Formats: sequence, C-alpha cells, structure tokens
Amino acid sequence: MPENIPLKEIDVTEKPESPGSSASLSRRKLLEFSAKVSTVSLLGAATLLSGCDDSSAQVSWAENFQKAYRLMSADEVAAAIKRLEARYSEHFSKAVSVDSSKAEPGVLFGAALNLQKCIGCRRCVKACTLENNQSRTEGEETEWIRVLKMEQEPTQQEDAEHYYQSESVPQQNAHYMPISCMQCENPPCVKVCPVQATYREDDGIVVVDYNWCIGCRMCIQACPYWARRFNWREPGLSSEQLNPNTHYLGNRPRMKGVVEKCTFCIQRVRKGRNPACVEACPVGARKFGNLLDENSEIRKVLASKRVFRLKEELNTEPKFFYFAD
Amino acid sequence: MLEFPVRTLVLLLLSSAMAVSAERDNCFESREGFGPVNTVKTENGESNIRCSEETGAVLWWQDAFEGTGPMHPMLHGARLQKTPPEESSASEQAVIKAIIPTLKLYPVCGTACHNGSYPPLSDNSPRKLVMHMDVVPDASNLQHGKGALWCLDCHHNTQRNSLLDNFGKEIHMDAAPLLCAKCHGNTFTDWSNGIHGKALGEWQSHGKKRWFGCSECHNPHDVVNGESENGFKAISPEQITTKDR
Repeated sequence: MPENIPLKEIDVTEKPESPGSSASLSRRKLLEFSAKVSTVSLLGAATLLSGCDDSSAQVSWAENFQKAYRLMSADEVAAAIKRLEARYSEHFSKAVSVDSSKAEPGVLFGAALNLQKCIGCRRCVKACTLENNQSRTEGEETEWIRVLKMEQEPTQQEDAEHYYQSESVPQQNAHYMPISCMQCENPPCVKVCPVQATYREDDGIVVVDYNWCIGCRMCIQACPYWARRFNWREPGLSSEQLNPNTHYLGNRPRMKGVVEKCTFCIQRVRKGRNPACVEACPVGARKFGNLLDENSEIRKVLASKRVFRLKEELNTEPKFFYFAD
Repeated sequence: MLEFPVRTLVLLLLSSAMAVSAERDNCFESREGFGPVNTVKTENGESNIRCSEETGAVLWWQDAFEGTGPMHPMLHGARLQKTPPEESSASEQAVIKAIIPTLKLYPVCGTACHNGSYPPLSDNSPRKLVMHMDVVPDASNLQHGKGALWCLDCHHNTQRNSLLDNFGKEIHMDAAPLLCAKCHGNTFTDWSNGIHGKALGEWQSHGKKRWFGCSECHNPHDVVNGESENGFKAISPEQITTKDR
C-alpha cells in the first residue's frame, strides 16, 4: 500500500514518544549549541578586531554589522556618518562630508524636461557624473542619465539609439529624450527588493541604502526605465574627481556589488539647490521644484504646458514629466 | 578592427586631458565665445567650476552665484509686475551676470560717436555700414527678423548705449530682455515664470536664483544662422565612453 507510507511517516514525527523525536531533539540541541559557539566566536572576533590597531578593519566590521539606515536611531546614524567620513577622508586624502539631512515636510520633488528644447548634447550626463561620484575607469564610466536619440517618427524606448556619436547636435530630423530615474510614486524597484534596501523617502525620492543592498539586481530587472546601475567592479574614482559634498543616501562613494541610481541629487536638493543636470542644461530644458508649492516653476510647467509621463500605462506614477511648449 | 586602437588612443588623450580640465582657461557658461569664465578656487581648495574637456562648456558649479549681481531694476520691475507686493522682497533673490562688461564696444559707443551730441539719423532704412562689421558682417542683411529689422529698431537713435522700447524710450542694456519682449512676448512671460531659460541656484519658489539674460544664450545679431531644427545653434555633444552596462 504505497499511499499509507507517507501518512505513517507523518504520524511518527508528530508523536513525541516516537523514536524519530529523539533525533529531532538532538538536532535542535545541536543547532542551539552551534549558535552559541558561533556567537561566541563572532564576539571573540569583534574583541580581537576592536583591540587591534587596524582602523580600517574596525570600520569595515562596524559597517558590515550596522542596521538598515532607516531603522537606525539618531545616535547610530551619527556613528555611521562619523565612520564613513573618517574612512572616505583617509582613502581620498581630502576632507569628505557625509550628510544625513532628512526630508522636509510639505515637499514633494518633481522634475520636468522640455522635449522640444533638448538638443542631445549630453551635458547633463557629464554633470551628473561630476556631481554624483560615479565610477570612472579608463574607457568605462557609470552614467545615470541615458539620452535616447529618436528619429522623427514616434519610436519606442527600446528602438531608440543610445550611443550616438554625432559630430554636432541636434541632428536634422532627430529628437532627443533623456531618461533616468523617474522617482515613481509607485516604484516597481521598491516592490521587488527582497531586503528593502531601496525605498521611497518622504519627499518622494527613491533611494538606495548601499550598505543594506545585497546586489541581487532584482530592481534592475523591475525598472521599466533602465534607471539603475550595478557596480560590477570596485568603482574607480580618483581624489581629484571626487565631489567631497556627499549624502549617505546619495553620492557617497559606493562599493563593489551594490546598485545605484539617480537621487535627484539628494545632497543638493535637501540643501535647497537645483540638481546638477538642471544647472548644466545649456538650453534650459530641465526644470525642478516642489510639486506641492503652487508658485514653483514645476507647477507652472504642469499648469501651462502639454505634459506627459513615460510609460504612464504601467501605473508607476513617475514624478518626472516631459513637456513641449 | 581598425576602430579599436583609434578609440583607445582618443580615450588615452582624453584621460590625460582630464587632469588639467579644471584649469582650462577658455571655459564658457552658455554659448561659446560669450561670457568666458575663469576658474576660482573656493575656500576648500576645490575649483569653483568644472568644464568639459571635450567642448569647454561649464558642466558643474560649486557656487552658482560667483560673479553675479542683483538684476537691473527695470527688468526686475517688469518681471514682478504680476507678483503680489508681499512677495517682492523675497524676489530680491534674483541675481544675474551683467552684460556690459562683456561688450567690447560699449565704453566707446556711448562716448566717442553716439553720445547724443550728433543729430539723430533721419534715415532709418537698412544700408551697409563700414563700422561694426565684427558684430554684424553685413548690416543690410541682418540675420534677425527675416529682413524686417535693422540696427535702429533695437538700438536707440542717439543714446547708442541704450536700447529702444516701442514708445521711443530708452531701455538700459542690462535690462535687454525687455527689448526682446517687444516681439517675443510669450517667451518673455515664460522666462519671467522661470519656465524658459537656464536655471541655476535654489529650487524653492522664493529661493535665490541666478537668471540668464536672453543674449547669454541667443546671439541677437545672428539668430537666423544659429537656428536649426530646435532653434539653437548646433554644438558638439559630450561623448560617452562605454557600451558596457
């Protein structure tokens, strides 16, 4: 009777007096024991490390065992910031500040881009790189903004030319559409993150806690706008290239194996300044501001221009608007 | 196969140029040949601006307000005419770079020839000028207004350092957008609202902002030649270095 066999087995395991239970009990004891042993050994390693002179080992130890950023208490945040500032300043041999300012109430950031004005000069792409400390190794540069070149006919994002090497721009019969993180109100990347390392801040910016990211790249798969980048290698960034004004959730130097993306230049906008791409645009196509302030430039754009959002049908609710005069 | 070593060579050259890019002298903020900027070291030893090693365009400002001053009162007043009075004090935050220091002929124009002591010209019709060919190569064929404009439609007849409004009154050179608004009213409205033109500074509606005057981006004497598909002179783009994502 093959059907009885599994039933029998289940009965045996559920009864406490059965011979199988002693095996499971002993396994539990073993697990408890090994847990104790591993805790002791971890503590031992911690005492060893905290006692040794190698400050970088202590820092990396503390960084590996810190909490997720948004669950940290104010003291823990301050300690983490202090650790990072010391480590970065030593590594880049210049004073690096790491900001931890929080979202202000009554602020919801949004950006807009005038497609009729954009000439595809990629100055925003380069300005973003200068500001946000992306990896720059020879022949390979991480960029958060991608400029799509489209022919006059309506084109899908997937069919557009990304790597155009024109002598001069704008080319006749072409239009240009920069895409980057759309800072969705309903972000698919946040939904799929298994460890909640990426999340939406209260002012609407979707951020990545680099120390909590496990590098599974689910968010890269989920993003319909190709906005996220992965550090496949140890990022290359020289001391001269480093922008020393950083934010914990923004442009602080990243490590290998973590995902990064546009943060609306969180280190700038939390201090009141426009993002780097907005300032760099030579034709003034990019606008930025507070969506909750009806006197802001962005609200005037939304009120007076023809506006659309990319891939609206996906219900991601982007806060990045494209418009035309 | 041939492309690879060439590209590598270019990249090597670029990377060697990167080391000195911050010290580049011929940087420009908006359009090439206008308003060159000098790099200034700030308190923390960093360069105030960072320029593109490929094009010379300023890509990044540490301090966006370096070298700026308050907006000219005429212009400020026109911009704020719709603003409620209680907000006008906050809008003192508007700063701009003065145009006059960038105009080579300006000190000469107002003193040597066009100081108002000469009788006004009776003939306003376009003709060839032997003067000012460096600014406008052929004055009878001005590349602005499709043949409908000539010098004295914008420049004051006797006070040549001033511009001319629709009623024959002077417009100060630093309030030049008011002149442009004579024809480009909608654009001026958008500019006043912060929708048209470059945006440097703070994002708050009452924050300190650096404004760009019309002529900082558009050459008023050569807008037709500068026109292309998007109404902006073609420039060389920044090149990206990788296809590996």
